[in-house]
Amino acid sequence: MSLEFSKLVSEVEAMGAALARRAGELSEMLPDARARLQAIGLADDELREKIKRAGDRWRGAIPTAEPVSATFPLPAHPPQADILGADGSQVYPDRHGSALYYLINVGSILYSYGAEGAPVCRSASTVYYEDADLYGETEGLIPTALIDGKRDTAELSELARLAESCHAEPLRRAQGKLFAGHSPGTCIRGKCERSEESQSPAQGKLREASRPASPPSLALVDNGLMLWLALEARQVHRPQVDEILRVYIDQLDRIQASDGTIAGFVGRPRNASVLALLHLASLPLENINEDTLKTARYRGLTDRTLFEYVLRPGERSAVFRSSSLVNLDFKARGHEMYFFYLNCGRPGKKEVARVEVPQWVALDPNRLAFVHAAIVEQCRVPDGFPYVLVRAHELAVVTMEERRAMDEMVQGALLRQGLRSAISQKAQTKQWTGARRRHRL
Amino acid sequence: MTDRLIGRVLRASTLGFCGAMKLPEPDVPTFGMFCKAAAQRGQSEIFGLIYNIHVDDDLFARQVATVENPSAADIADIQKNRQVPVEYDVLAVGYRNAVGTAVSLLRAAGTSQLPSQQQWSGRGVIHSLPPQPPMTLDPIYACTPEDIRAFTARFDFFRMALNSIEVPGDELLAAAVRSAATAQPDQDRGDYLREAGRELARLLARDLSRLENLLKRIQP
Repeated sequence: MSLEFSKLVSEVEAMGAALARRAGELSEMLPDARARLQAIGLADDELREKIKRAGDRWRGAIPTAEPVSATFPLPAHPPQADILGADGSQVYPDRHGSALYYLINVGSILYSYGAEGAPVCRSASTVYYEDADLYGETEGLIPTALIDGKRDTAELSELARLAESCHAEPLRRAQGKLFAGHSPGTCIRGKCERSEESQSPAQGKLREASRPASPPSLALVDNGLMLWLALEARQVHRPQVDEILRVYIDQLDRIQASDGTIAGFVGRPRNASVLALLHLASLPLENINEDTLKTARYRGLTDRTLFEYVLRPGERSAVFRSSSLVNLDFKARGHEMYFFYLNCGRPGKKEVARVEVPQWVALDPNRLAFVHAAIVEQCRVPDGFPYVLVRAHELAVVTMEERRAMDEMVQGALLRQGLRSAISQKAQTKQWTGARRRHRL
Repeated sequence: MTDRLIGRVLRASTLGFCGAMKLPEPDVPTFGMFCKAAAQRGQSEIFGLIYNIHVDDDLFARQVATVENPSAADIADIQKNRQVPVEYDVLAVGYRNAVGTAVSLLRAAGTSQLPSQQQWSGRGVIHSLPPQPPMTLDPIYACTPEDIRAFTARFDFFRMALNSIEVPGDELLAAAVRSAATAQPDQDRGDYLREAGRELARLLARDLSRLENLLKRIQP
């Protein structure tokens, strides 16, 4: 036991008191923030001019055609839908381990709402051990941020695969009827392979004209859709980040091309971009500069806290456009990012999440309504977090026991090749001292 | 009759083993069912009685259970993807050596003819704890009617069920006797049950209420 709890008691008590005091102060700001939100209403030319004056350094929420104070009730859920969830986990390279490698594990689930069968689950791992994977051109071991970026891309790639399979399956069933003698293919849900290219042009036109409708599909990721790596680490590892970002956006292309829908779900978000907009709106146009923008009228308050105050269970806020600079890369590829806040809770329990969607979802009322309804329904059983993301995480997570088993497998493989493998002495001493000691509680 | 796979060993000891299968069938596994698993690298076959079929829960399953109207997909996901495997405990009640071993014993005894299953009838079956448990992931099979007749030709295994501490011994034995009777030819079933009853009377002569309870459970 290394924490001396007796010495921490007073500090923790002081923290509790400070947080309670702060919570009181923040809650006093809420009526003012809500009033400002309602005062703005539909963004006018003056507000748009203020946003322009604030420039590239301003990170507030950009209003769309929806009034910023608008709330939208829960729409109807389609009777059938395919909800896809994916999550990833990783084992980082350990220079103290017996071998240098890293692993990315992606778990995914295809959940057919309105159908009887069990969801289709999958876990897939990739081990990286070649020099090209482990080392950059100008630096040492691959930074963990880049591994995270590869993981996020792998998650999106899996969702793209599932989205393509969802929309190919009814077509394959129809092909079996329309083209006598033609093999209907070996499409197993979640593992389809595209082979429409084998059709003649005439058959292709016939296929397109009679393409059966498949249930709508929604791919969900746990976190925002804008690649975190690009947001946080681009300046440091630009070439690698650009490449990962390119492949990442390719997956958005695939999902869009498959006629699927995608959203990023951010639970307990810490953003304050809508509050930044409220602050900007309160400034006179001629007083907008770096200093006045930094004055944090609502410091400590988050958009989530504001919308917990505003949204009833099942309601969503207006859609806003993200002002992040990375959004320019997404915009260039037709996936400019928008977001809204959504109360996924129930009476007596507030659970406001931030939902990110690309432009082709945000500006399509049908897709937007589908995202809204599907996420709320997905959050019903787990009481505030989407079911498919709960399961995807469960399918992706690599436990400590699995990590140890993996290390043992690696050691065995090395021994069979005649290589003596050993952990570092530092790792060895951690094992010596990691065991339970007599005086530990 | 080919052996029917009903699961694989998860953990094992001399006293018995725990098996697992993905999803139960209506008739497999059932309480009191005879099953068998190889041991000693195939040199012997352990016979057991299934006595505890259980499905474990976890926090997420409890969460889903408390929700009003979970969807069919939610329930199917929990039942078929998450709450697997279904586990069952098996009480070891005897074993027999593999045919090859028995053949060498027979030859040593001066006969070269391998007895038929009918002639085998109980020979080679030992109603005692096995010398070794099966190994993890060894297959577990349902006993065929021939296996059951061979194993239950003698009633020595009754003590193993009756004296077992952590097992519902009486219920288990009653179910096993009914199972053994079902494996007999129609015309022999009644006689088998009567013989089993006589054996129980001998074993439980000093515990008449327990005897009465058991006899009620096995009467035709």
